[in-house]
Amino acid sequence: MRYNRVHIVLFLAPILIIVLVLCGMIAWTGAVSMDNWVGMAPVWQFNGLQNYATLFRMERFWSALQNNLIWMVAFIIPSAALGLLLAYGLTLSGRAESLFRPLFLYPLALSFVVTGTLWAWLYDPDAGVINNILKSVGLGDLGQPWISSPRQATFCLIGAAIWQYTGFAMTLYLAAIRDIPSEIFEAAKVDGASDIQIFRHVVVPNVTQATLVTIAMLTVFTLKVFDLVWVITFGGPGTSTEVLGFFMYVATYRQAFIGLGAAISVIILILAIAVVVPYAWWSMKRLQT
Amino acid sequence: MYRNKALAIFTAVVVLSLVLAACAPPTPEKVEVTKIVEVTKEVPVQVVVTPTPKPEAKELTVYHWWTAGGERQAMDVIFKHFNAANPDIKIVDNPIPGGGGIALKTVMQGMLAAKMPPDTFQSLSGSELKMYVDGGFLEPIDDIWAANNCDTKYPAVIGKMVTFNGKKYGMPMNAHRANWLFYNVKLFNELGLKPPTDVDELIAAAKTIKEKKPDVYPIGLGSRDKWTAIFLFDVVLLSEGGPDVYEKFYTGQLDAATDPTIKAAMEKYAALVPYLYPYHGAKIWSDIPPLLGEGKIGMYVLGDFSAAQLVQAGYKEGTDWEAVAFPQKPEEVFLMIVDTFTRPVGIKHPDANKAWLNNLADPDTQAEFNIIKGSIAIHADVPATTYPDDLHRRASAAFKGKRIVPASAHGALAPQAFLSDWQDILTRFLYAPDVTRLQSETAQVMKTYDVAKNSEWYWAK
Repeated sequence: MRYNRVHIVLFLAPILIIVLVLCGMIAWTGAVSMDNWVGMAPVWQFNGLQNYATLFRMERFWSALQNNLIWMVAFIIPSAALGLLLAYGLTLSGRAESLFRPLFLYPLALSFVVTGTLWAWLYDPDAGVINNILKSVGLGDLGQPWISSPRQATFCLIGAAIWQYTGFAMTLYLAAIRDIPSEIFEAAKVDGASDIQIFRHVVVPNVTQATLVTIAMLTVFTLKVFDLVWVITFGGPGTSTEVLGFFMYVATYRQAFIGLGAAISVIILILAIAVVVPYAWWSMKRLQT
Repeated sequence: MYRNKALAIFTAVVVLSLVLAACAPPTPEKVEVTKIVEVTKEVPVQVVVTPTPKPEAKELTVYHWWTAGGERQAMDVIFKHFNAANPDIKIVDNPIPGGGGIALKTVMQGMLAAKMPPDTFQSLSGSELKMYVDGGFLEPIDDIWAANNCDTKYPAVIGKMVTFNGKKYGMPMNAHRANWLFYNVKLFNELGLKPPTDVDELIAAAKTIKEKKPDVYPIGLGSRDKWTAIFLFDVVLLSEGGPDVYEKFYTGQLDAATDPTIKAAMEKYAALVPYLYPYHGAKIWSDIPPLLGEGKIGMYVLGDFSAAQLVQAGYKEGTDWEAVAFPQKPEEVFLMIVDTFTRPVGIKHPDANKAWLNNLADPDTQAEFNIIKGSIAIHADVPATTYPDDLHRRASAAFKGKRIVPASAHGALAPQAFLSDWQDILTRFLYAPDVTRLQSETAQVMKTYDVAKNSEWYWAK
């Protein structure tokens, strides 16, 4: 059967409508971000880039942005690295793979609210699991204030996110390792390479594609992270764990600074584009070659 | 090929026509009745009779945040009374979980902006209610207010909290008292301590507990919620400055950077920090009462709603825990949080809304509701003896006898935008108590959000 124009219209219409609605909403957010809209009812009063200027003067904005950047470094690299190690480990484990794979993937199936509640219990410095385990094995001195310390809290959140997302990176890497022709592994083995050497010289250079995808996806996740922060620390202690997404929610819905909130959304969008587009472009170029 | 094309076109046409049919407005039901009317000249006249339109099904869409244990049952009491008086109106219940209505506010923002208002929704009175009024989303309810004699049956300050531009915009029906100091009775007896009556005594009691019982944390707090930090500051401010300073501070009449009383209150607040439960940043308000029951903490300051947590955990009032109004010096006040229901603009069932608001003003509904909710009725006809527990009997007596001051937390007094920043500033302060910085940050946000101008409603005659 050949496809004709009617088919094209029928099949493309839904996606076109979705894209149009999405673009419309982005344009609307962009317009609101340049308005002096404060309060619940719309105020269409153009004020240029005033909202952005206000944001850039706010210490809170910079601390939220800084937290997003901490997330990028402290979350993406460990998640991707652990994912790759697990994927290679599973490949080596033979039959046990079918047992372990769902186990590592399981956290991904949980909602962020469930993960958040779970980790809030684990991290509770007084009655929490981690400190109590340390106490019971005689290492009570190593107990930490965890989420009640402004310095540690962001890293605690990142720990929970790594737990949830390592399985995701692992799946991508597992597929990439499967794609490596088995002859390469066999040749390496014949040459007497150890598992570690194979990992270093065969696996790592051959999973660059998967790394690109993983890093791009995890970056987008770090830019829109909200739920975990909301559930585990509510941005606190003080504002120490606030990220841009959280700040946007507070500005828009709790303080009714709709224009300012929209400006934060636009900044998140620009950051996402700035990170994802070069990656996508680079990976497309590599794919073509 | 042609068959395929024809099939595709046919499918498209069918789908399109279905979509159009679904979008089309419903055709009004019209029945033509032909009747022969005899007149003297015997001329047949055709009369077209259009039947009266079918009345729209009577219902009432309610949005509220009373979903937690106790609250839900309390809401059901209102429904029960409403249904008894209005058996023909069906209630469409939309509970949105989230303490203090934080999630409901987000939902309402969307629904009201989309011009899809529910028949009534919950709001706190004061500056939160003002947000909806300023947006032009609410209609006055002066008719209900007058019909129920609310001016004589409710304290004047309650009316003030729902009055904007000279009109009433919300129907209140309960009051929570925010200024209770809960303490562990066994610990206080063991150490020979008396319940503190002002902040200096609070600090002294905390010091004694810390010295004599190093494994007990003197003052409990759950600052993961953040607003609890405001509760604690509020009683310190009331103790240092009294109710007049309190009202002036939260309505932007004082300069936080220079006012000596505000500075003194901030210093006292800082003096409490060493005695606080050290992991407060990891706990929410409801985690704290059980810790008091267990004897892990000595005291905490919260509203009467926290008593339910102690009772549910099996701790007995009088023997395990006790609560006193705090502060009692320089003046004991009733620091109040009030819930109201509203009448949005453009609702589908105005009669149902009217019946709903009237039901809320009914003293019997209020009495039964408040016993379960853990707050007190605001209607003068509900006596203090209504409540089964001592705490609420005392609250009701204080409500009738003491000065009532609107609580700042949750947005009754100061504007929402300010409070959101204020609770962040206070929680940050608990980790790095720097009074000079607190003074300048407070003055700055008061200026940024123009608290003085946004609180003019409170001082309007």
